[in-house]
Amino acid sequence: FRYTRNLVDNGNGKFNLMILCWGEGHGSSIHDHTDSHCFMKILQGNLKETLFEWPEKKGNGEMTKKSERVLRENQCAYINDSIGLHRVENISHTEPAVSLHLYSPPFDSCNTFDQRTGHKHKVTMTFYSQFGERTVCVSTRRDAPH
Amino acid sequence: LPAGLSQWFPALEVLDVSGTGLAEMGTELLSLPCLHTLLAKNNRLGGPGSLPKGLGQAPLARSLRVLNLSGNRFAEVPPALLQLRGLRSLSLGGNRLHGIPPEIQELHSLEFLYLGGNFITAIPPELAKLPSLRYLVLCDNKIQSIPPQLAQLHSLRSLSLHNNLLTYLPREILNLVHLEELSLRGNPLVVRFVRDLTYNPPSLQELAGRTVKTRNVPYAPSDLPESLVRYLSLASNCPNPKCGGVYFDSCVRQIKFVDFCGKYRLPLMHYLCSPECSSPFSSASQSSTSQSESDSEDEASVAAHRMQKVLLG
Repeated sequence: FRYTRNLVDNGNGKFNLMILCWGEGHGSSIHDHTDSHCFMKILQGNLKETLFEWPEKKGNGEMTKKSERVLRENQCAYINDSIGLHRVENISHTEPAVSLHLYSPPFDSCNTFDQRTGHKHKVTMTFYSQFGERTVCVSTRRDAPH
Repeated sequence: LPAGLSQWFPALEVLDVSGTGLAEMGTELLSLPCLHTLLAKNNRLGGPGSLPKGLGQAPLARSLRVLNLSGNRFAEVPPALLQLRGLRSLSLGGNRLHGIPPEIQELHSLEFLYLGGNFITAIPPELAKLPSLRYLVLCDNKIQSIPPQLAQLHSLRSLSLHNNLLTYLPREILNLVHLEELSLRGNPLVVRFVRDLTYNPPSLQELAGRTVKTRNVPYAPSDLPESLVRYLSLASNCPNPKCGGVYFDSCVRQIKFVDFCGKYRLPLMHYLCSPECSSPFSSASQSSTSQSESDSEDEASVAAHRMQKVLLG
């Protein structure tokens, strides 16, 4: 009932290549990228990307939006921690969306952020499927954004 | 839709006429006995002829399982739609709905309901009478409050409420034991303690009703006028576990913050039977009141731990 992460290739441990499937209205949390490079290409539909500043260390207020854009089919985007944080969402109520993601080096945990307070929380990321096979959920811990 | 559709394709099970500029769907649909999926998104439906008359009597009323009317121009849920008793999945996302009719409860097989991206301002409590509802999407609307009856949706797994006008949630939301996902971002949820100071003292009728209920005074329908029997049946239990009292109309609204697994603090609205139940500074023994407050908060926190994927951020 939320977007799925489907691993396609793990590049001998050097990168993770995955396909994300977003239903209507599905969106991610605000999250960082654990010091990795992150490339994203839209394969189907549209995804809105909202960039945020890192919250202040002592910050206890609403996070600052830097910019937002809607990425169309075949468009690419790149982000890493020095650029900032982002939220990705399928804002369509009629069309699903599909995106291709490349992370190098691969990472399986990141931080999600509460937009209202800037508080962060570490999460572990899981896959819905790997190499075409459904991954059975073994942990009850929260999924990450992507 | 072309005339003769059911003659050429009598075994049709899935029909997708999305993005065709369709403004109405007529009687051609009524004689498709095997149709279980109808996709008609991104069209110009919404006016009077959008769904054919006599839909309730057609085989379609029992056979149709999936109906997608997203991206059209519906300003209200068409009454004909509510006759599709076999419907499991309904999408009216991205239309122009201002409300949800209470008759929605007639779609008693509904498991998936997508109403995101409309102009809905309120949710009828009758929505809670859908026993199989698992996935409810109400994001991107203008909803100001959630009726506490929604906690009766025992099958609910996923509730999407992001981008609305909610300032708090009813405390009963913690009773949704199977709820795994809840999205709340983009709502003006209060972050500080809020106390409703306009407490209207209870009427004599209410005080009598409270006494009857809390002291278990026996009564039979023959003892009282029907209106009072009904009134007594509407008593709500004070959620303060140390209180055990009831209230009818006169209650104190208080927002308490419930901690979700140390991650988020959600403002939940509590209805308490009197200021003595809620006030931490009452003339009654301070320690006992604060004890009861923290007890009910612990109880709420335990319930909150069950909800695993609260997507507030």
